[in-house]
Amino acid sequence: MDVLFNQLFSGLSMASILLVIALGLAIIYGSMGVINLAHGEFVMLGAYATWALQNFFGFSILVALPFVFIAVALVGWVIELVIVRRLYRRPLDTILATWGIGIILQQLVRLGIGAESRFVRGPAILDGNLTIGAVVMSNYRIFVILFSIGVLTATWALMTRTEFGMKLRAVIQNREISECYGIEAGKIYSLTFAYGAGLAGIAGALITPLYSTIPTMGTTLVVDAFLVVIIGGLGSVIGAAAAAVMIGEVTAIFSMVMNDTLGRIAMLGCIIVLIRFRPRGLFPETIRR
Amino acid sequence: MTRKLSYDLLAFAAFMLVIFLVVPTVYDYDGFELNTFARYLSLAIVALALSLSWGSAGLLNLGQAATFGIGSYAMAMHLKLRASDGLPDFMAWNNVETLPWIWVPFHSLGFTILAGLLVPAAVGGIIATFMFRARIAGVFVAVITLAFLVAFQLLVIDQQGMTGGQNGLTGLAQLNLFGWEVDTYSTAFYYLVAGCLMIALAVGLYVSHSKFGLILRAIREDAERTRFFGYNVASFETMIFCISAALAGWAGMLYVLVLEFASPTYMSVSFSLAIVIWVAVGGRESVIAAAIGAILVNALEGRLSDVFVEGWNLMLGVTFVLVVIFMPRGLFGLVTSMIKMATERVRIRSHRPHAIKPIKANSQSEGRR
Repeated sequence: MDVLFNQLFSGLSMASILLVIALGLAIIYGSMGVINLAHGEFVMLGAYATWALQNFFGFSILVALPFVFIAVALVGWVIELVIVRRLYRRPLDTILATWGIGIILQQLVRLGIGAESRFVRGPAILDGNLTIGAVVMSNYRIFVILFSIGVLTATWALMTRTEFGMKLRAVIQNREISECYGIEAGKIYSLTFAYGAGLAGIAGALITPLYSTIPTMGTTLVVDAFLVVIIGGLGSVIGAAAAAVMIGEVTAIFSMVMNDTLGRIAMLGCIIVLIRFRPRGLFPETIRR
Repeated sequence: MTRKLSYDLLAFAAFMLVIFLVVPTVYDYDGFELNTFARYLSLAIVALALSLSWGSAGLLNLGQAATFGIGSYAMAMHLKLRASDGLPDFMAWNNVETLPWIWVPFHSLGFTILAGLLVPAAVGGIIATFMFRARIAGVFVAVITLAFLVAFQLLVIDQQGMTGGQNGLTGLAQLNLFGWEVDTYSTAFYYLVAGCLMIALAVGLYVSHSKFGLILRAIREDAERTRFFGYNVASFETMIFCISAALAGWAGMLYVLVLEFASPTYMSVSFSLAIVIWVAVGGRESVIAAAIGAILVNALEGRLSDVFVEGWNLMLGVTFVLVVIFMPRGLFGLVTSMIKMATERVRIRSHRPHAIKPIKANSQSEGRR
């Protein structure tokens, strides 16, 4: 039983990180239909930014978070302006172009910083574990779970409670008509892309104490995050959250029954079947077009 | 014979001339250089296979590397069995006592070649039936095939006793083709691979110029409307997936012959997307252009990665982004639009005297009024 709870907790911890990555991706995909394969590289940039801030300025991860968010959001904003903007009418081509961007970012980091793995210390306040019965939970992982719930709430509030969110939802539903109402869709798109990239940066900062920071770390993350988005349903924030928890827990349970690799294979199999039968995701938006 | 077909046949003949005569002459029949070029040629086959599904039918298959990998492992299994008497060495390291049943028939070369073509085709067919029966299209095809690829690669790495895991299959024997011990650094081997590429290209050209190819293009433009015309869209899409997968398997078999080992990296996401890059650079609409794209990018990689060891991947990324933005139809699109401009100019020049006269007459008559 304890094994099960420990496994469920580690699943939740994985889900929380997936959620933060997938949220950014879900917003970008939902609003502009861009499949951003460079998203994993945004996560990687976030991780390296955290490492740099800690290494050169001695910032703890918690202090670094806002700076990382802004830095990666800026990178995303520039990329949207220079490249992605030209491809809105060709959704399949965005897969290719963003993969190219991913290669570029990866190589720039490899050339500039080096290919070896970098180490980032977890924040000292969050050292130690919380033990309930025989279930051991590291404080940092608990923090990551709570933080991701915070990010989810903030994103949800941004989408539904602010003027920007209202404009964004209008553009998602119908770009042409919202432009007729004076909403600058181009500007909304840039900001959304930047926000999504910033979230990926935060995810990158959060995972630095848990994963090794290497230039190729984004590639595996982006595939998982993408599956979360597709399963959650186009641009659905709640759907992404549900799908992240589901994927995290399903992987954890399968991994317990079989082994880690087979658990992941089983999870991917489930996802393929799920997409086949619900291609619009678990929580499809019901918009008449 | 339509004009498009005659252009394609012309390009095919020119391409054949270059591959069969010019390239060996330029490399002075040097075994090492020809072996390197044979590698590009085998990759050209997998690129043209992708262009059949992506270019003709608009189905972006990001799992092409999986079928390529199956083909390569089939050939590697045969060569591994030839290299070892009894149990292959890696199996003994993994405490596998008897040869797994799946390995047994690979003693026969005929079975191996059939398996290298038919197993990928069957796998492609199963995935395609699974997807296209549900009318999955566009981005979702890309995502499902990508997820399949990741799962498949993990499976191959996980089954270490059967597949050699992360190391793949190494220490392979030479192929013995009807008594001919194939030396991969010989001119004859180069011609074998080049011949295979030409046959694959001919198959690709036949498919794209047949009625079947026309229906595929109709599906790409508007699947719903094609369905209304009474065509079973799912079965056409499944068929092209099978053909494309079989060609990819073929390419995989040749690739193993050239490199003399099989590795799970042949089934990695980055390799699969690299295939997409080659096709995009060459031009996805034409099988010949896709093949040329693969040869070009790989040959450039071979030359430039020696000079710019670190910077090469960066250059590849930049080139690719530029191609997607400014040349969405690849080199093929560039060439066809240039030909179109040239013929347009010729047409205008030959028509000019007739075209000007009536305008003059009109303006005079208007002036009089």
